[in-house]
Amino acid sequence: MTAILSVKDVKLAFGGVKALDGVTFDVPQGEIVGLIGPNGAGKTTLFDCISGYQRPDSGTITYYENSGTVELVGLPPHERVTHGIGRLFQQARMFPSVSVRDVLRTVQHRRMKVGLFRSVLGIAGAGAEERDVAARADEALELVGLSAHADKPAMELSTGMLRLCELAAIVAVRPRLLLLDEPSSGIAQKETEALLPLLKRLRDRLDATVLVIEHDMPLVMGLADRIVAMAQGKVLTQGPPAKVQAHPDVLASYLGTRATASTNGKRR
Amino acid sequence: MTEFLATLPGGLVTGAVYALLAMGLVFIYKATRVPNFAYGALAALVAFFHYSLVNGRHIGVHFNALFIHVGVDATVRLPFWGAIPVSLAFAALVGYLMERFVMRPFARAPMVTNIIITLALSVLFSALAQQWFGANDLIVPNGQAIFPRTSALSIGGVKMSWEQLGVIGLVLAFAAGLFFFFRFTETGLALRAVATDRDVASLQGVSVRRVSTIAWVFGSMAAGIAGVMLASLIVSSNPSLLFILSIWGFAAAIIGGMISFPIAVGAGFAIGTLLEVMRHYVSKADPTKFVGMPEFVTLGAVIVILALRPRWIFKGIREEQDSGVVSRASGVDLRVGRFIDPVEMYRLVRAAFGQVIPPRVWRLIKLAVPVLLVAVALAFPLFPLPEFWTFPLNLTLIYLLVILSFVVVVGWLGQISLATGAFVAIGGAGAYIGANFLHLPFPLPIVTGILLSIPVSVLIGLPALRLRGLHLAIVTLLFGLVVERAVLPRFSAASVLQRPSFLTSDRVLYYFFLACAAIAFAFAWRLSKTRMGRAFRAIRDSEVVASAYGIQPVRTKLTGFAISGGIGALGGAMLTYQLGSIQAQYGGVAFSITWLLQSVVAGITSILGPVIGAVAFGLFPEVSQGAVQAAHITFWEPIVASVLIIVIMAINPEGIASMARFLRTRVSAHDVEDDEDLDAIKSAASELKEPARV
Repeated sequence: MTAILSVKDVKLAFGGVKALDGVTFDVPQGEIVGLIGPNGAGKTTLFDCISGYQRPDSGTITYYENSGTVELVGLPPHERVTHGIGRLFQQARMFPSVSVRDVLRTVQHRRMKVGLFRSVLGIAGAGAEERDVAARADEALELVGLSAHADKPAMELSTGMLRLCELAAIVAVRPRLLLLDEPSSGIAQKETEALLPLLKRLRDRLDATVLVIEHDMPLVMGLADRIVAMAQGKVLTQGPPAKVQAHPDVLASYLGTRATASTNGKRR
Repeated sequence: MTEFLATLPGGLVTGAVYALLAMGLVFIYKATRVPNFAYGALAALVAFFHYSLVNGRHIGVHFNALFIHVGVDATVRLPFWGAIPVSLAFAALVGYLMERFVMRPFARAPMVTNIIITLALSVLFSALAQQWFGANDLIVPNGQAIFPRTSALSIGGVKMSWEQLGVIGLVLAFAAGLFFFFRFTETGLALRAVATDRDVASLQGVSVRRVSTIAWVFGSMAAGIAGVMLASLIVSSNPSLLFILSIWGFAAAIIGGMISFPIAVGAGFAIGTLLEVMRHYVSKADPTKFVGMPEFVTLGAVIVILALRPRWIFKGIREEQDSGVVSRASGVDLRVGRFIDPVEMYRLVRAAFGQVIPPRVWRLIKLAVPVLLVAVALAFPLFPLPEFWTFPLNLTLIYLLVILSFVVVVGWLGQISLATGAFVAIGGAGAYIGANFLHLPFPLPIVTGILLSIPVSVLIGLPALRLRGLHLAIVTLLFGLVVERAVLPRFSAASVLQRPSFLTSDRVLYYFFLACAAIAFAFAWRLSKTRMGRAFRAIRDSEVVASAYGIQPVRTKLTGFAISGGIGALGGAMLTYQLGSIQAQYGGVAFSITWLLQSVVAGITSILGPVIGAVAFGLFPEVSQGAVQAAHITFWEPIVASVLIIVIMAINPEGIASMARFLRTRVSAHDVEDDEDLDAIKSAASELKEPARV
C-alpha cells in the first residue's frame, strides 16, 4: 500500500480551542477513505488545512505525486489543482450567476495555457484550446445528465443538481485526489442512497483516491474502503468500516455514553 | 516647535470634524450594518436648509379654483438658535423617510448594494440641496457663525477662536453623550444587541425595525448638527466638499472597524491633525510642487493600517464570501440594468421560442445587433444634425469607455472600485506628457496614457488583494480623491494638448474615437469569452470556490484592475484630445460616483450596458442641454438617475429572474419536481456505469 496523502501530527488551535490536536493518518492510493466524527471533531478544519484555507500551527501534510512529494502546508489553495487535488464543499454552490456550461469551462482554468492577449485575439492555438475545453465540459455535463440545464445559471439548480454539477466539474478536472466534504448534505434521504453508486462509479472512472467527510453512516460505510474516526481534534481509531463501526470509542463519541467522558479523560 | 504647535489647533478642529462624521457613521453602522455614504450630503442638505431659514426663506403657496385666487406669500426668518430645532426636525424627517422607504427593503441586502444605494442617496441629497438652495457655495458670514469667531485664547503663539474651541467641545460632548447612551440607556443596549447579532436580538424581543428607525433618525440628526457646525467652521461649503470630508470620516470609522467609537474618534483626530500639519508645511515650502502630498501620505497611512489587518478592524465588518454584485440569497443585486439589457432579453426570448425558430435565424439576430450598432455609429455624423450634436457625440464615445471600465472591474470582477475617474485623469495626464514632454507623434500619446495607467492600477489593485467590499470602496474613493487633489491641479487650463492637423474637425475626431472605442469594446467582449473573463466571474461569485479550481485570486484581480484602468485611461486620453486640456470636472470623485451609479442603471454586468448608459446618460442629456440651453435643469439628471436606481433595485428581487424561469418551464417543461433530483442522480449513476471513454 502506497500512500497518496500523509497527514502527520497536525495541530491547529483557535484561541484556547484545540480544533486539531495532533492528527496523524495516511490515505492509501486508490482507496476511498471516510472521515467521520461528531460535530466539532475537526473534520472540516482538517479539510481546510489540506486544501490550504487554514494553515496548521504545526505538523506536515505530504502529498505524493508520481514524480515526487509535495508539502501542502504553506502552499496556496489555488496551486493544488495543478497537483491533481480537487475539493468539493459542504454547501454546493459553484459560481451562482454563471451558466452551468460556463461553470464547467471555468473549472478547467489550469488546463489552459494560452496567454491573455493570444486568447483575446484568438491566435496561437487559442481556438483549439477553447474547443477542447468546451468539448470536455459538454462531455462531463452529458455524463451526469445535466445537458438539458446547460444554459441555466448555477443558482437556478436544485441542491441535488448542483451536486451533480460539482461532480461534473470533478470529471472535467480529473483530479488524482478528491476531497469531498459531506456530499449528502442538503440532499434528501432517498437521493443519498442513489449517491452511493454514483460516487463509487465516479471514483472508478477517474481512478482517483477519495477522502470523504460524511455524516450519513450507511452511505459512508458502504462507500469507504477505510474509515478514520475523529473526535475533539484527535483520531480515535482507523481501519476497515466494520471494525471502526464496532469500536467502543466511536460508538461512545456518537451516542455520548458516559464512557466518552471517562476514556477521554484517562487516555489523552 | 512653536510653529508646529501653532498648526495644532487647526489640525485638532479638522480632526474634530472627521471624528464627528466618523461617530455618526459608526452609530448608523452599528445599528443597521449599513455604511452610510449619504452622510456628508445629508449634512450639507440640512446645513443649506438651516442657513436658508436663518437668511430668510420665501414661501409661496398659490391656488386657483373657480376663478378665485388664493395666495400666501411669506418670508420665514428665524434666529440661528431658533432655527436649530426646525433644522433638526427636518433632519429627523429625512432620516425617517430614508429608513422607511429606502433602507428597509434592503435590510438583508449585500454590502455592495448598500454602498450603491447610499451613494445614490448621496447624489440625490447633493442635487436636491443645489436644486432648492442654489448652486452657489453656502457662505456663513461672521454674524451667523455657530460661535463667535473672535479670539478666545492665546498661549505662546497658539491661538484659538471661540468657534474652534466650541466645535471641539461640542464634538467631545457628543462623544461622551454617545458613550453614555450606549452604556446606560435601554435603547442603547438594544442597539448594541442588534449590532452584535440581529437574529439573536430579535429572538430576545428587541425590535430590529424600531432600532433601525431610531438609528436613522438620530444618525440623521447628528448629521444635521455636523452639517451646521461644518458650514460655520469651513465658512464656504458645498455638498461635494462635505461629501469629501465624510470620506475622511469614513476612513476614521473604518480604522475603528465601523464599531469602535473611541478608535474612530482617535483616528478622526489623527487624520485631521496629520492632514492640517502637512498642509501647513506644504503651503510654506512649495504649494504647487507638493500639491496633494498631504492627502497622498494620509491615504498611504490608512492603506497601511488596513492592509496590516489588525483584528479589531475586521471584527465588526461583514466579510462576505461572494462580492454580492450578482444574486445572493437576499435576491437584491446590482444587475438593475438587466431590465433593459438586450443580451438578457435575447436569452429570455430564445429560451422561450428556442425550438420554434431555427438556429440559423438566431445566429442572424445575434450578428445583426452588433452590425446594426456599428452601422448606426458610423452613419450618425452623416445625418444633417445641428452643430450642437458633434461635441455630445464625441463625448458619448468617451462615456462608453468609462462605463466599460466599470463593467470590467465591478460587473465582471466583482470589486467595487470608485477609481475610474482617477484613471480618466491619469490617461489624460499621460497623453499630455507623451505629446508635450516626450514629443511623440500623434496616436502614441494615447498609448502613453494607457501605459501610465497600468502601474497605477496595479498599485490601486494591491489593496484589493486584501480588502473587499466596504474597505475597497473607501480606499478607491480616497485614491480618487488623492488623484483629484494631486494630479488634476498640476494641469491648468493653460496646458494645452494640440490635436494633429488632420483631426481638428470634431467630425473626423468622432471616427477616430469610434475606432478606439470599437477596439476597446472588441477587446472586452473577446475577453469575456476567454479563460480570464471566466476567471473574473468566478472570483466575483466565490473566491474560495474559484481558488479550489486553481484560479489565482491575486493575478486575476490585478489583471482586471489593469484592464479596467487601461480602458478608463484610454477614455481620459481621448477626452483630453477632445477638450484640448485636462479639465477637473471629468475625472474627480464625483465623476466616478455619478458614472458608477449610471453604469449600474444601464447594466453593470452586460457588454451592452455601456452602449445604453452612454446614450441614456451621456448623449441624451448633453444634447438636450445643448438644445435647450437650460442650465437650471441640470440637477434633475442625477436626481432621476439616483431615484431610478433605488426604485428598480427595491422592486428587483424576483423581477426578471422569475420571469426567466416562467418562460423556461413553459417551453421545456423542466419543472423542478421533488423527484427530479433523484432521477437525475440515478441516471447519472447509470451513465457512469458505461466503460470509461477517458
